[in-house]
Amino acid sequence: MNAPLRRDAFSVGAAPIPIAAAAIRFENVGKVFPGRSGQGSVTALEGIDLAVPQGSILGVIGRSGAGKSTLIRLVNGLERATSGRILLEDEDVTGLTEAGWRARRRTTGMIFQHFNLLSSRTVFDNVALPLEIAGTAKAEIKARVETLLDLVGLSDKSGRYPAELSGGQKQRVGIARALATEPKVLLCDEATSALDPETTQSILALLKRVNRELGLTILLITHEIPVIKEICDRVAVIEGGRIVEEGETFQVFTRPQHPTTARFVETVTGVELPAHLADRIRPTAKAGDNAILRITFTGENATAPVISRLSSVVGVDVNILAGRIDAIAGQPFGSLLVSVPARDPEFSAVLGALKSLDLKAEVLGHVS
Amino acid sequence: MSPEIIRLIIQATGDTLLMVAVAAGLGTVFGLPLGVFLATSKRGELFAAPVVNAVLGALVNATRSTPFIILVVAIIPFTRLIAGTSIGTNAAMVPLTLAATPFIARLIEGAIREVDQGLVEAARSMGATPLQIVRKVLVPEALPAITLGLTLAIVSLLGFSAMVGAVGGGGLGDLGIRYGYQRFMPDVMGVVVAVLIVLVQTVQSIGDRLARRLNKRLRHA
Repeated sequence: MNAPLRRDAFSVGAAPIPIAAAAIRFENVGKVFPGRSGQGSVTALEGIDLAVPQGSILGVIGRSGAGKSTLIRLVNGLERATSGRILLEDEDVTGLTEAGWRARRRTTGMIFQHFNLLSSRTVFDNVALPLEIAGTAKAEIKARVETLLDLVGLSDKSGRYPAELSGGQKQRVGIARALATEPKVLLCDEATSALDPETTQSILALLKRVNRELGLTILLITHEIPVIKEICDRVAVIEGGRIVEEGETFQVFTRPQHPTTARFVETVTGVELPAHLADRIRPTAKAGDNAILRITFTGENATAPVISRLSSVVGVDVNILAGRIDAIAGQPFGSLLVSVPARDPEFSAVLGALKSLDLKAEVLGHVS
Repeated sequence: MSPEIIRLIIQATGDTLLMVAVAAGLGTVFGLPLGVFLATSKRGELFAAPVVNAVLGALVNATRSTPFIILVVAIIPFTRLIAGTSIGTNAAMVPLTLAATPFIARLIEGAIREVDQGLVEAARSMGATPLQIVRKVLVPEALPAITLGLTLAIVSLLGFSAMVGAVGGGGLGDLGIRYGYQRFMPDVMGVVVAVLIVLVQTVQSIGDRLARRLNKRLRHA
């Protein structure tokens, strides 16, 4: 009865989709909200195909209203798909009843933007709640909650109430609570959007840690690109209820295909031309002009000694205008704006040298 | 004031407290589930039953809009059925409870509707049943507001209880009317009013203190 359902099981010649490796799989999923009286229905999601590999962190990024909240709620049945299929560890959950979902939800933890902790319960009792709901024995609850509070570093706050905690501490309680029933999947609904940048970092580090140490699959939604950059193995960009781009974070960030993706990643990968040059830049070169180049460093090339190579080997003066180097999903990525003489043979020599270093160079324009 | 009058005042205070306590107690027993249901049974809610919700809501409104003194008279046959008589302190508890129940239900409905829907969603995400959500989330989170609501209900019941003298129910109101007003004993009237003021103040300050203690939201480290 519960044998894994494979859409392509009987198709001949088609490359098999690696279904077994996905903790969560959306197959052509759509969600239409019925219209209120007098109004038309609203299509929240359309044609969603997405696989979250087991043990990975996948981030869905999109603006508010793009459908990402609905998407994440389909995974634990808080919303129901109106078309397509959803598979959790190869099990088709699309047609589950509410009672069926309740049992499933114990294998899926969820954390929220506004933490959603019970103000009437202490930290300990908040973490204990999912275990009480599951009917776990008192002694076991105590042992489990203590382990979890230790994991998130809040053992000393056990008897405090949420109102006495900072935002970061509240989210740590949220994480401990979400992990209480030892789920395999953690859903993060804008989990750091209400936190300051520093606290965001520490929460992301904690998520990364539970992902590694517990082998937890994490699906997160966010509108903050730094969250994706920091911890996501894969990223999906959602717009207007559709996924417009999906892939490994580093690939998507360094080679965005869709304009929406490009706009998102620009904020972390882009380097702006200083204002005094941006005003004077022109597309064609006049005699004596300098060319402005954007050199992009990716992966292992990010540490290439490019400037010294250009000045010593090619023998041209390189003027650095702006630059930044960063890590995306753990891999170095940099971008550098330089000006070099626009006349040949120096200019061709520069391009040749960059090519030999396997660096991407792009001419932005010319200034005198 | 004669010892006889003082005895009467003590007796009446006891009757009032008994009537109000029984009406508030039974009103809560009936009003709590009714209020929880009203707060969770509209379309798309935990126990979605929009038609039942609308019917019960209308019934609650009808009871609440009937002036108490008319309610007391109108339900005399019902009172006789329940209490065996329509006269006296015991009989007066029937209309008091009947008036208290919808009032308390509405107060509890309001308190529960104030609970952040995010908490309900969090509990659902843990696999909680609707009943578990009520018991472990909605009622505990609404408890400070429910406490204040019940305090208000008790204070209102003290006022209502003064009217049941009209059908032979005892209590302070009855004493005030019969002795203070009809027998021209303004000192009795004064004492009755003073006792009622003290009772209301006491109930209100106990309720406020209890609600404050139950509310963990305003604490700061």
